[in-house]
Amino acid sequence: MPTILQARDLTKLYQPGMTSVDALRGVSLDIQEGEFVALMGPSGSGKSTLLQLLGGLDQPSSGDVILAGQQISRLSEDQATRLRRSETGFVFQFFNLIPLLDVTENIGLPFRIAGQNPNKGELKTRIADVIDLVDLKGKERHKPDQLSAGEQQRVAVARALVTRPAILFADEPTGNLDYHTGLELLDALWASCHDRGQTVVLVTHDSKAAAYADRVLVMNDGRIHDQIVLGRRETHETGPLIARLAQLGL
Amino acid sequence: MLALVPLAWRSLTARRVRTLLTVIGIALGVGMLYASLATSLGIEQAVDRTVLEMIGRADLRVAAFEEQGLSEASVAAIRATPGVALAAPSLERRLYVRRAGGGTAAGPVTVLGIDPVLNPQVHDMPLVNGSAITSAGEPSALITERLAREDGYGIGSELTLQAAGEPMKIKIVGIVAGDGPINGAAGRTVIVAIGLAHKVFAATGVTRVDIRVVDGTSPTTVTAALTSRLTADPYVLSTPPDLEASLRATTADFQATLAMIAAVSLFVGAFLVFNTLSLTVIERSREVGLLRAAGATRLQVLWYVMSGAMVLGVLGSLLGLGTGAALGSLVGMGVQATGAAPYEQPRLSAETVAIAAWIGLFVTLVAALEPAWRATRITAIESLRLRIDPGSARRARLRWLVVIFVSVGAVGLLAWPRAAGDLMALRSLAVYGLLLVATILSPLFIAPLARIVGLPFVVLMRLDERLARGSLSRDRSRTALTMGALSVGLAMIVAIGGVAQEARATATAWLANVIPGDEIATSIRPVGLGEPVTVALKAIPGVGSVTPIATFDIAFRGVRLDAAAVVGADFLSDNRLSFEEGSRSDALNGLDTGGSAILARSTADRLGLRVGSTMAFTGGAGKALNLRVAGIVERSIPGRSGETVLVGWTDATGFFGIDGADFFAVRYLPGRQASTQGAFEDAARSLALEPATLNRVQGAVTDALGRVFGLFDALALIAVLIAALGIVNTLSMSVLERVRELGILRATGMTGRQVARMVMVEAGILGLVGSVIGIGTGLAAGAMMMGLGTGFRIAFEPPWLIMGLAVALGFLVSMAAAYYPARLASRISIIRAVQFE
Repeated sequence: MPTILQARDLTKLYQPGMTSVDALRGVSLDIQEGEFVALMGPSGSGKSTLLQLLGGLDQPSSGDVILAGQQISRLSEDQATRLRRSETGFVFQFFNLIPLLDVTENIGLPFRIAGQNPNKGELKTRIADVIDLVDLKGKERHKPDQLSAGEQQRVAVARALVTRPAILFADEPTGNLDYHTGLELLDALWASCHDRGQTVVLVTHDSKAAAYADRVLVMNDGRIHDQIVLGRRETHETGPLIARLAQLGL
Repeated sequence: MLALVPLAWRSLTARRVRTLLTVIGIALGVGMLYASLATSLGIEQAVDRTVLEMIGRADLRVAAFEEQGLSEASVAAIRATPGVALAAPSLERRLYVRRAGGGTAAGPVTVLGIDPVLNPQVHDMPLVNGSAITSAGEPSALITERLAREDGYGIGSELTLQAAGEPMKIKIVGIVAGDGPINGAAGRTVIVAIGLAHKVFAATGVTRVDIRVVDGTSPTTVTAALTSRLTADPYVLSTPPDLEASLRATTADFQATLAMIAAVSLFVGAFLVFNTLSLTVIERSREVGLLRAAGATRLQVLWYVMSGAMVLGVLGSLLGLGTGAALGSLVGMGVQATGAAPYEQPRLSAETVAIAAWIGLFVTLVAALEPAWRATRITAIESLRLRIDPGSARRARLRWLVVIFVSVGAVGLLAWPRAAGDLMALRSLAVYGLLLVATILSPLFIAPLARIVGLPFVVLMRLDERLARGSLSRDRSRTALTMGALSVGLAMIVAIGGVAQEARATATAWLANVIPGDEIATSIRPVGLGEPVTVALKAIPGVGSVTPIATFDIAFRGVRLDAAAVVGADFLSDNRLSFEEGSRSDALNGLDTGGSAILARSTADRLGLRVGSTMAFTGGAGKALNLRVAGIVERSIPGRSGETVLVGWTDATGFFGIDGADFFAVRYLPGRQASTQGAFEDAARSLALEPATLNRVQGAVTDALGRVFGLFDALALIAVLIAALGIVNTLSMSVLERVRELGILRATGMTGRQVARMVMVEAGILGLVGSVIGIGTGLAAGAMMMGLGTGFRIAFEPPWLIMGLAVALGFLVSMAAAYYPARLASRISIIRAVQFE
């Protein structure tokens, strides 16, 4: 499979006040098209920072990120935004939706931002398709405050998928959900990857979530500490992952 | 209790821009109030000075009602009245002067004939040069400093006074300081001995007699004695307070409007404080919840918010005094430039300064009370919630607006100019109340209006429009508060503009409707009907008709009315006046035969008269006249303070003592105006008449109105400026509140520019909705301002141009105010936004 995302020697230095914090200390990785990769690690290990750099939400202090053949770290703010719009999708832990817009409008938001009309032709079909994928049929006109937390996160997944991005980034998407709702969301992410070839990068500290991945990158102290290859599996048992993590002392 | 005060201070310094904008808003409101108080004081001091100059040390004044003046018999009767210690007569008339050597005068002058011995005992007339006139009949004169400056006279200059009597060559012996003793003479006064004035004007009467009563005698006793003795001529007897009241009445409208605009500015400033503190409390509700959880009492929380408000109020009021001093000087200059009221640089007492500062602080604290109270209701659990209930916030806010309104209204009434009467206070309160009602009701209109005004944005910026509109409708009470301030400011501009437009249009249409001529030739002295002036003017080829008109005062049921003497037949043939009741031909012919009067609708309604009613007048020496109301017209010839009662010349000269016409209305033959005008104007000047086309008169009237209303408009703009500060604050808060939402939009692919544009679109829609509501309110306020007016009857038409300008102003002000919040929004860090909890 071709490589869709590459990172080379990424560092990120934060300087809040007089002190400085090395959030990333030289991270390199490759992610193949259609792959489901999880970033795991304890709090402060740098996994969310890495996801932000990979997704073009922030610029590295040094190093390069190459997404779909374009070097994000060399792009202007506007160019990075446009690349993000066309090639990535994001799902965050909190506040993924615009409260003023209903489900269909929230999902069609990237098209609106790009100046396209989501109510016509193929875009309309695409929206209906992802609504179907995340099992929200019948709730198209609901506003976010009329949905459960799990449904809201599924809307966020649908919005992230609707543009058919090269890669979908999810930062602790189940962190705010109960166990069963979390599993439903992970099923939806996995289905998009398995059935449609969607590349997914998931940040999580939950081994149950990480067990959906083909490959788990374990981070610690701003570096990739280890890589656990689980392979594509219909069942997402956590045993092999937990065993390996235990070997690593995590 | 005060433990949290340092935290309040830090809270203000942490949001420097918001604090600064709020302080500026309060400062502008206080500044406007201070400027209004200072201007009112300047006007009142000018009135006091004028009264002093007019009546000096006199205890009573007897003024002639008719042009011939008070006869020698009346003056003698006054002098013989028990209790009168001194009676100083004077004669006042206007004329043109000729310089020795044949130079022409720059304009007419007022000649004041005085008794050189008695007058100095009543009036001070400080000289800047030369000496006083000393004996009666001396061919010498004093002139005012302004006349000397304007016409280039000095001590020793000679000039010739030419009126109905013999031409009199006089020598200037002294220069009186400033504009001299006569108010309304534009500072162009020549003072001579009264005997000389009698010769110049071929008159024997006097215009007035100023009286000093014997020490220990009450002026009331002397008044009673005078009333029983003065039977020869009609007169008006007044005391200094009467004159003061009558002078103040002429400035009342101006002062009242100024005070109303100041109250509105303060109200809008209070909006700003209220809205800002409400938003701060919402924003800091978690922090307050944490404080409560940590053991802070409700009283401590109350002080926490109130001490912040106190700091804002003190800073705003202090800055407002500086702003007000500068603004007051500008307004004063405006008042002088427009000539809307007498004015002099006010001597401000510490009390006035303190009143303005205290009112500013008081209004700030009143506006802060509700947000502070709301903060005390925040529980420790609130700190765990994501949002507070917007419904309770809305109910509380709008209810509190009424309290703010009442508080500002109450302090407004306390600072109400004493010249403006109850009716004006009522009118201002009604307009002010309308602004409140419009603001309270505006949440009902926000959603539908936003949908309509958002339509232009839909075409190009559908998403921006959708999000902006949704954002405005999300918390309608906050939007109403923010927009309310803008609407109130714009409403004032529309109302003032509407009244101004109507006044201009009415003045223009009015003159055309009631004046039977294309041109007016004005005389500074009454031109007797027997004089050959009318014949001479009519003889000019191209002139169709010449009709004499005189305006004068009449007393009916103890009330002064404006009256005009006209030739009914001329009005009939020229088809002037719109009759609402009575037969046109009977009424106008009736004027010429005598015993009839024609009233304007406003006068008839005010006096409760109808066609067929009788108006009974009594004159000097037991004379009596009954005039039958023969017709009621839509509008009559305008007088000094209302529409005139039209009477025929027979009654005017026979009963009311009118000597002659003030002006002539001249109608050219069809198509001959251009070719005749030059010859006519030359002829008019040769007859000592000042010609002016009706268009020029209309232009002068509309220009004068425009200057006064322009000043009011400029002041109303201050309220719009304060509103703009409110918009900056609210939009900034809205951006900070929506930081997560904006972060999601940015993460989804919206560029910084797009986010900024969305905020701008929101501001644009806010401005347009505010403009629409402001225009609606302004039209109602304008109609109310005119409907409750007196004297003139005016119909209200929408001022389309002003309305268009208000829309543009509302839109542009909102857009300009949105610049900072938009920049703030465009710089939101996606990472911090989505991680923000």
